[in-house]
Amino acid sequence: MKSVGASLPKYDGIGHVTGTTVYVDDVPTPNGTLWAKALRSPAHRANIKRIDYTKAAALPGVHAIVTHEDIPVNTYGHLSGLGVPADEPLLAESELRYLGQPIALVVAESEAIAAEAVAAITLELEELEPLFDIRKAWDPGAPQIHQWGNWYTQFEGGLDRRQIRKGDVDAAFDRADLIVEGVYRPQAIEHVPMETQVCLVVPEPSGKLVIHSCTQAMYFSMGVVAAHLQLPLNKLKFVGGTVGGGFGGKVDTATETLCAVAARKARRPVKWRWTREEEFLVSSTRAPWHVEIADAVSKDGWILGRKMLTLHDSGAYARFSPYGLTKHSFHHTGAYTIPNLRFDGYVVFSNRVPTTAMRGFGVTSVSYSTEIHLQRIAHELKIDPYEIRLKNANRIGDTTGNGVVITDPSTVSTIQMVAEAAGDELKGDYRTMTSAMRTGDLLPEHLVGQLGNPEDH
Amino acid sequence: MRITVNGTAHELASAPLTPLLHVLREELHITSPKAGCQQGSCGTCTVIVDGEARRSCLLPVAAVDGAHITTLEGIGTPDALSPLQAAFLEKAAAQCGFCTPGFVTAATALLAENATPSRGEIREALSGHYCRCTGYVKILEAVEAVAGRAL
Repeated sequence: MKSVGASLPKYDGIGHVTGTTVYVDDVPTPNGTLWAKALRSPAHRANIKRIDYTKAAALPGVHAIVTHEDIPVNTYGHLSGLGVPADEPLLAESELRYLGQPIALVVAESEAIAAEAVAAITLELEELEPLFDIRKAWDPGAPQIHQWGNWYTQFEGGLDRRQIRKGDVDAAFDRADLIVEGVYRPQAIEHVPMETQVCLVVPEPSGKLVIHSCTQAMYFSMGVVAAHLQLPLNKLKFVGGTVGGGFGGKVDTATETLCAVAARKARRPVKWRWTREEEFLVSSTRAPWHVEIADAVSKDGWILGRKMLTLHDSGAYARFSPYGLTKHSFHHTGAYTIPNLRFDGYVVFSNRVPTTAMRGFGVTSVSYSTEIHLQRIAHELKIDPYEIRLKNANRIGDTTGNGVVITDPSTVSTIQMVAEAAGDELKGDYRTMTSAMRTGDLLPEHLVGQLGNPEDH
Repeated sequence: MRITVNGTAHELASAPLTPLLHVLREELHITSPKAGCQQGSCGTCTVIVDGEARRSCLLPVAAVDGAHITTLEGIGTPDALSPLQAAFLEKAAAQCGFCTPGFVTAATALLAENATPSRGEIREALSGHYCRCTGYVKILEAVEAVAGRAL
């Protein structure tokens, strides 16, 4: 208990401030290390008609060209372990679904030779119309970009969406004084870690692979590599834990698997480091979202019901998006309790780079949207923005949309602290209110009985 | 070509137009300067060349023939931190650490020129450096903590 409450020096800070921390790119490369460069899709969406590696393979210094045929299990999903069906080929086979999608990996004596070899590969494509706007995914005649169609269809119970139902939302809308609608579109963000994706794989004579990785998720990445290569975990020795910034973007296993396949094929150590351009153009981003909210409100500022539709742009493949959308759905009332809910969320595919985790995966999009929406409601009702938040705040004993009984909410104290820090005076009871359990129903006395009791549904 | 890095002289084998960053990292195995963008944008490759903070990724080694170069390794060691390195550690100004070599070298060069910089002058000196983790405030606090003290 000596550490609790104490201010301790950062455990790895001494290496950082003296330049002695060893990041993956700083690991000395063994003699004979080869360098990798990827052939990437030059199109957003296309069918591969022909690839000719002859010239590239004949270049002096080129040791191997890895294609999908070299990978024991080419198609694997990042959430396969949780039952999310595999959809993403490690190297493209016949269809290209995003600009920059890897098709082959060349390993050569130097990065320059590898890049020259990539440029010498002949690639003939049949370009197809891409889908970028997820709102058009349902249009008749929209490009069909995925084997499942344009949205993910594998949620529990065979549903093609993540849905939440609570109370009687139609009754709430019938009885509302006002319905406030809003559409919110938080956009994609690139993580921009200072350290670009980088990996060094050293094969040992025993067949074991030593994998120097900048992943944020060591054991997860081990599982991904093992699944693609069909190797037992005792053949993989991951060396990592020193990450030059990740922010969620290094949860996806970006380089380790292909580097490992290449090292096995070439029987030499292989290093692959992405340029800043690759990091920007090809690495996963935070997802863009499309969020529609309609709230049924009473004129004194109670939110009686919420209907919400969320479209989560997953990019070309599912990766972690079903999980991100699930987190989003659990938070779709924000830090507030709303008795009647109808939420529908879809993971929609597009011909963008696959999107992934980033700081508050799935949640920042919903917090952004719902907080702006609360502000809009307060503005339309001409009531205090603090008041609407405190009135509808989570309280002890409240139940969330996904059925969790809240035992230790902090909404009330947080809003009160915000008001104090901003120098705004809270009115009357709002200054002294606590998170204590509501007396009677969730709703104030005059609304009890007007709405279906959530517990009945 | 010959450069002196952290007090040690080196005869170089690299081609004259090789960026100083690559000479330091690949030929001399001095790895504190990082390859963050290799376009002169991010600042983490910064080293001190004859007293001036420079981007080693954009600097052909021929342009620094004969120069005295200081990298983060030359500013202080784990056993003997410089006051600025100690302040970075104490103020948690290094999080993932990948940008730290650039910030510490640039701020060290600043303080050698101007021992009592204002916050505005510190901000200007560090304005070409990206940090994605800390939000910069802790970095500014660390530099301010040693401003006016002996380096």
